[in-house]
Amino acid sequence: MWLKIIGSIIIIFTSTYIGFSLASRYAERPHQIRQLISCLSALKSLINYVAVPLPEALSQCTCGLVGPVTDFFHKTSILLHNGRLTPQAAMDQALKDSKQLVFTQAEREILTSFSATLGSMDREEQHKSLELIHEQLFRIQKDAEIRCEQNVKMYRYLGVCSGLAIVIILL
Amino acid sequence: MNNTQNILTQYIYPMLPPHIPKLLMQLPGKLLANLTEIRIRVNQPLLLVVGNHDVMVADFGQTTIAAQAYHCTMQDLVKIFQVMCKNSVYAFEPELQQGYLTIPGGHRVGLAGQAAVFDGTVKALTRISSLNIRLARSIPGCAKLILPFVIDSINRRIYNTLLISPPRCGKTTILRDLIRQLSIGNTNLGIPGVQIGLVDERSEIAACENGIPSIDLGPRVDVLDACPKAKGLLMLIRSMAPEVVATDELGRAEDTAAIQEAISAGVSVIATIHSRTIYDLYTRPHIGELVQHKAFDRYVILSNRLGPGTIEEIYNTDQEKIYSHANEVKVCG
Repeated sequence: MWLKIIGSIIIIFTSTYIGFSLASRYAERPHQIRQLISCLSALKSLINYVAVPLPEALSQCTCGLVGPVTDFFHKTSILLHNGRLTPQAAMDQALKDSKQLVFTQAEREILTSFSATLGSMDREEQHKSLELIHEQLFRIQKDAEIRCEQNVKMYRYLGVCSGLAIVIILL
Repeated sequence: MNNTQNILTQYIYPMLPPHIPKLLMQLPGKLLANLTEIRIRVNQPLLLVVGNHDVMVADFGQTTIAAQAYHCTMQDLVKIFQVMCKNSVYAFEPELQQGYLTIPGGHRVGLAGQAAVFDGTVKALTRISSLNIRLARSIPGCAKLILPFVIDSINRRIYNTLLISPPRCGKTTILRDLIRQLSIGNTNLGIPGVQIGLVDERSEIAACENGIPSIDLGPRVDVLDACPKAKGLLMLIRSMAPEVVATDELGRAEDTAAIQEAISAGVSVIATIHSRTIYDLYTRPHIGELVQHKAFDRYVILSNRLGPGTIEEIYNTDQEKIYSHANEVKVCG
């Protein structure tokens, strides 16, 4: 009897955990996109107003924020400081290394295409490129927020309910 | 390790692809000690300018046969340019439009390639095919000979001084040391340290890193780094109340207007200009008028006849020779 009770509790906890962790990915994504937009806005100012070189600008644009997005910018900055990597190679490497990021293919593609021209153009062109990225990310953020609203509760309930369903079937 | 080897290790080698420093490190220390320029051209031999001649570099050391020399590749230049501008072309936009970059340590790198021109002005330099890395040296004491000539001990002021020479004759090195010595002061010459405002448009004189001078200029120098000369001179006069303003390489109309305004405001000026003699300056637009109106009190003529920084002659405001190299020669650099 005790074994059945302990087993049921474990099943319910596990399925709830899976449901909550799936939900957290949906909840985290709009938050990370917001942080990304905020960092890129700061980067735009650092490039446009004070023309700070990329390695310094990428680490300074995160000021005040914490989390996986700031870690990603710091990693890119360090890779540019240390090696002979291009901004695109450094950003790709940092994206691969940042396991905490919940970006989907869409955000990753935007960052890859943005990094291809990063640092190789004058201020005016860089400004245009950052404006374009900002618009694209803003649209993606809206979409991520809608998905977040739809899916977070659903995955949480689904986690708990599927745990209970399994327990009922097994009992 | 001597001065040049320090410069190479600290500032130049980190900018180059690893195989080029390997080639340079095989060369005799005596040769590297006199190195003034490294010239890198696509598909051409790696050239080092040593004193007044150049040498080609091969795997086994220096060579005179071009076919044996290491030939630089496009890939080398792309990588060097990438490192020098920190992957941030936008941060060096004004410099690149003028065809140069200044790297840490105040070393100027001349660039040539394909110019992108819009509305008659050079918007950018693309496809860089030639680089000339010019080693800047700080030689404390090299302006010692000039110092007594630029101090007016009766009126306790500094004369308006123009350092004149063709390129590669040590103007910037002499100017840097003159600023340092004036900033420290000289009790033997009866001059206390003077407040100096320096406009370092090309970041060569003070070699600022993050706005802070990396070269010792003494305790009384305010540096306006990477600022256009004309605007910078007026900004310093209005904001920092200097007794002397200094700048490098006059040439444009606005530069001479700013110099005129500084002199009218009672601030002494120390500047440099590319020319061979004072008389060549007469025919030059803008600066010629300043010379004709006796704006400067001292003209120091430099050459590289006995090495960069050879002080050939010093003239007063009436263009009378008050010093000649005939009896005394001071070599710097």
